[in-house]
Amino acid sequence: MQRIIIGNGIAGSHAAAVLRRRDPDCQITIVSAGALLFYNRYDLPDVFRGRGDWVDYLVYPPSYYDEQNIKLRRKTLVKDVDPNKRTICLSHREALSYDQLLVATGGTGYIPERLLEYSDSMISFNNYRLAMMVRKALPDGGVVIMLGGDVLGLDLARTLIETGHSVVLVAGDRTFWPHEIDADDRPRYLEALRRMGLEVVDGRRIDRVESSHGKRPARQVIFEDGEVLKGDVVMPFYGLTPSVDFMSSAGIDIERGILVNPQLKTTGDDIWAAGDVCQIWSPQQNAYHFYYGWKNVKMMGEVAARNMTGDEVPFSATVDEQIQLQEDGTIYSPFWEYD
Amino acid sequence: MNSVQTDVQIAVCGSAGDGTIAVGDILKRAMARAGYRVIAFDEYPAEIRGFGKCIARTRITTGQVYSMKPKTDVLVALNDGHAIPHVSEVRDFGAVIYDSAPIAAVQEGWHVSGHLRPGHLPYGLPMREISEQSTSANRSRNIVALGFVAGLYRLPRQAFIEAITEKFRTKAEEVTKTNVAAFNAGYERGGETYRFDKLEFGPPARRARSSLSTMMTGNHAIVRGCLEAGIETFFGYPITPATSIMERLAVEMPKHGARLLQTEDEIAAISATIGAGFAGARSATATSGPGFALMTEMMGLGVMAEVPAVIFVSQRGGPSTGMPTKTEQSDLNIAVFGGHGDAKRIVLAPTNVEGCWRCAGRAFEMAEAYQVPVVVLVDLYLSNRYETVVFPDTPPFLPKSWKPMHRDRQADLPYRRFELTTDGVSPRAVPGDVGGVHTATGLEHNEFGRPNDLSDMHLQMTEKRHGKLNAALKHPGITVCKRFGDTGKVDVGVLTWGSTFGEALEATILAREDGIRCAAMKVVMLSPLPVRPILRFLNDCKVVVVPELNYEGQFANLISGALGRPVKRFNRVTGKPIDVIQLLQAIRGAAGKRKWRKSAA
Repeated sequence: MQRIIIGNGIAGSHAAAVLRRRDPDCQITIVSAGALLFYNRYDLPDVFRGRGDWVDYLVYPPSYYDEQNIKLRRKTLVKDVDPNKRTICLSHREALSYDQLLVATGGTGYIPERLLEYSDSMISFNNYRLAMMVRKALPDGGVVIMLGGDVLGLDLARTLIETGHSVVLVAGDRTFWPHEIDADDRPRYLEALRRMGLEVVDGRRIDRVESSHGKRPARQVIFEDGEVLKGDVVMPFYGLTPSVDFMSSAGIDIERGILVNPQLKTTGDDIWAAGDVCQIWSPQQNAYHFYYGWKNVKMMGEVAARNMTGDEVPFSATVDEQIQLQEDGTIYSPFWEYD
Repeated sequence: MNSVQTDVQIAVCGSAGDGTIAVGDILKRAMARAGYRVIAFDEYPAEIRGFGKCIARTRITTGQVYSMKPKTDVLVALNDGHAIPHVSEVRDFGAVIYDSAPIAAVQEGWHVSGHLRPGHLPYGLPMREISEQSTSANRSRNIVALGFVAGLYRLPRQAFIEAITEKFRTKAEEVTKTNVAAFNAGYERGGETYRFDKLEFGPPARRARSSLSTMMTGNHAIVRGCLEAGIETFFGYPITPATSIMERLAVEMPKHGARLLQTEDEIAAISATIGAGFAGARSATATSGPGFALMTEMMGLGVMAEVPAVIFVSQRGGPSTGMPTKTEQSDLNIAVFGGHGDAKRIVLAPTNVEGCWRCAGRAFEMAEAYQVPVVVLVDLYLSNRYETVVFPDTPPFLPKSWKPMHRDRQADLPYRRFELTTDGVSPRAVPGDVGGVHTATGLEHNEFGRPNDLSDMHLQMTEKRHGKLNAALKHPGITVCKRFGDTGKVDVGVLTWGSTFGEALEATILAREDGIRCAAMKVVMLSPLPVRPILRFLNDCKVVVVPELNYEGQFANLISGALGRPVKRFNRVTGKPIDVIQLLQAIRGAAGKRKWRKSAA
């Protein structure tokens, strides 16, 4: 049995571990676009606490993969999937055969279309390499202009402020993503962010983002009213968009994410999906739903692996999705938790 | 000041025709040009193009090292099928660079990226695409890959451009431009690539920056030694891996007023060499095992007629045609004992590139001083291995000189060319010397050279031919053997000869770091054998390991036969140099066994 997992995040890696536990003899191959072994992205804000070596972020040592007989193919992009031939085609023109496929490619940082042309002037925080780029670009006490302000960004903001940097948040309708906050509550939450130490700019529409070569500050955000916000780094945090492009010709149902039933099975034969890439059918809500956060995603990896090896268990979220304004006035998001 | 010590080994692996060796050549020349020390060794097939595997390995250092590293830091795969077996040679957290956009579909399991170990760091590079974009052709993908390596590790770009320019100086100007463009495109891509590995290139060592440092192969060092010693004639027949000696001499000798002739075969080559030696010229030939086998009869003539001649032998895998492009040390027996009769000769086996130069130059002196053929025994690994060498300003080799005829001898007495003297060396005359007419023959002879097979005469002459060589053990300017590592009594001694010494010394250094009392000895003069210092070394060692690249242990047999001491053999016939880690394990085993014996006692 050849099982291929596309994606080397928590969903894919945990699924591989469960698969190996339940089927010691099968072949497991993880295909990853990244260069590194599985590491904890939730720890990446620690780069500002001096934890710069990527080895320190690894969840498993290199020997783990040999011990578990899990093959890991890194820097490998999947071009498309052919469910009829049961192959995945890699960008270097090699086709890999599978008996079962798990898609766990997660999501990439979403950037509103009107800001895409300014991507070169922004640095996202999706992986270790980008985290190190931000660290390199940000001087001691430097200013980060954070656009959007999803919970991942706010988690980073906490660390940046603790490490002596300034964070200016340009808030918008994706602030606190994926949490949804009533308009009436929004001012209280924004005030809580100010208490955290963020400077919050709200209700302003961005016109453009510019780089000022060779000068400090290196970046500036220009609003439609002409006002200029200057900083060292501009970081977009508008939530995630599922990485599904390579699945577009696979003939399975995709909406924003890959549509799966509660057992995380897609509409394609022997293809499952887990993590931020999939929308899970919720009989209670009678709708497809995204579930985020380390614990949910890890559970999806577990459920998918169990169902690939014969179980029929449904996924149920383990995390309360509500953001909380605590008694001391600070904000708590359950998506900041991981194990 | 940056105190990073550089010690990086880069291997480029491709198919014949991929430009693998060319890339390795540019890399090592560029890094040597930048002031680093370089050791490099290429493996290539016997076929010309389109078949076999080529690997160009280059070790770049700031300090003195003695061999290739057992593990590679960076592997560049120009051909996935050939590179896959070598991925395991890459160390943990080492880099593997490969073509991420090959032109043809790859069969499942045949892309190198699928064979990386979890600890390796992958760098996919669309080599072909970058080549096409920068040069309008895909044939420069090897240079793109080289540029990528240089850019990734911020190596000095100008040194590479100079090395590329030098490499293609005999081609059309467009060829250089194309390759520089491909290099620059790769360099830019490398510079933009985020690097996860922690390889560092520190500044080059001060000594290596000297204008006197030169990078060359063992064969080219032999050529330099020949030229600086004043070689006058060379006769040879091409054979891998000795051919480059003749090729380079063919270019250089005419500039020095010397003559080179490619003969019809090896028998003619050795015959002409001995003929020229008889005539008084500094004369040499170069060959490999199969050719040397043909030369042995004439070498016997050289011994019997006491004619100076120098024979360079570069060993390759045998027997017979064997493995022309793989290294081996299996011609020790024929070098020391080859031929019939008691044909004692001098055999020198240099251990590094500098030693090739030194032995080549001294071989001419010794051939004249002791009136005997001198064999300089190297192997493919040493012949083709590049090292950065610092040569003295003034060549140390003595001009042509030998024991002359007695000037005060009575003119009416016949000249005794083979006069029995106390040191065994007879006064020598060459054709043209007044009063020096004599017979030189392959038959046993008396002092005048006339055939004589009386028992006493044969005994006296045999003793003379053997005894005169003892002085060679004290010939000035050559180290016949040398000890390294711990002094005094040691747990393990590593006794080596030839190119294996570098690996042996590296293994010894690692063993000492393990806490094992360990020493190594290199023996450069294999005949006559420096028995006393070797015996002292053996007496200091609880266990002696003899690593060599032959099956039976020819050097071990030589030592055991001469000294009657058992040694622990470490024989490899893989066609490759000794693996340092395997040898280290053998040393550990030898040390451990000894300790176990002690505790059991």
